Amino acid sequence: MSVVAISDRGASAETQAGWRIPGNKGIWVGISCEFVEFLVLFVVYFVSRAHFPEAFAEGGEQLSRLAGTTITLLMVSSSYCIACSVATLRAGRRRASLAWLGAGLVLALGYPLTKYFEFQWNLAHGITGDSGIFFTVYYYLTLNHLVHAVWGILGMLWVLARHLGGAYTVDDYSGLEALASYWHATDIIWLVLFSFFYVLV
Amino acid sequence: MNGVEKKTPSGLTALTNAWLGLVALTLVSLGLGQWFHGKPWLQLLVAALVWLKGHVVARRFIEVESCHPFIRRVVNGFVAVTPLALLGLAYFGAQLARWATL
Repeated sequence: MSVVAISDRGASAETQAGWRIPGNKGIWVGISCEFVEFLVLFVVYFVSRAHFPEAFAEGGEQLSRLAGTTITLLMVSSSYCIACSVATLRAGRRRASLAWLGAGLVLALGYPLTKYFEFQWNLAHGITGDSGIFFTVYYYLTLNHLVHAVWGILGMLWVLARHLGGAYTVDDYSGLEALASYWHATDIIWLVLFSFFYVLV
Repeated sequence: MNGVEKKTPSGLTALTNAWLGLVALTLVSLGLGQWFHGKPWLQLLVAALVWLKGHVVARRFIEVESCHPFIRRVVNGFVAVTPLALLGLAYFGAQLARWATL
């Protein structure tokens, strides 16, 4: 596998020590804040689960694991497509990069769609935010994540429009990489939520 | 380190392998929950899988190894916190509940 130096001019910020900052510093301020926000939400989860272990042991059995698994597969696949979009643009394959980004967007749109059907399924089975502590925490965390995912989807639309307009080149793709970093971070958070609510322990 | 891997087809292969690994780990974790629900060691395994999946995304998709140390610490720290908390909850859940009681 060949290793070459990538120009730091506009591709991704590079510090004097030679470390990379994928995208730009601003997106990493945002990602750090996103991590802190979800760490606080995770504290809510852990404290609730410590107080009501039975409710959390039984709650997961009532959720739709099909929906949880579908969202997980959509998130990791979308994240993969966005990573490939960055990779192909670095290799100078702009059309392939656009195709990967488009595929990532289509897969990402499947998340709110699946969530809609999951909430319909929940309501049909009498699962609301008042159904118990497990479900209150479940709605609180997953809806919060959905909001962050929608921001990411809006970002994808913006980056796709700019990419179509020729804004990104092999020497300057920081906007695309900033979006990719945000989406990967949002993916990491979902992988945690999946284990919290859908994997029986 | 002042360079990153140029993404050639072999780079896409590495990304594809990471994606397949994430899909497999997701399905394995679901299966483990179904087959071994309630086993005391399952918490340990689930925590390990949560860390592994986060690690794969951080390493392969974000390429955290070549990132600025602050970014590396933030991402690796976030990926590590939840599995550690899951383990802490599994073994010290009652104590945590006492500490968190008003």
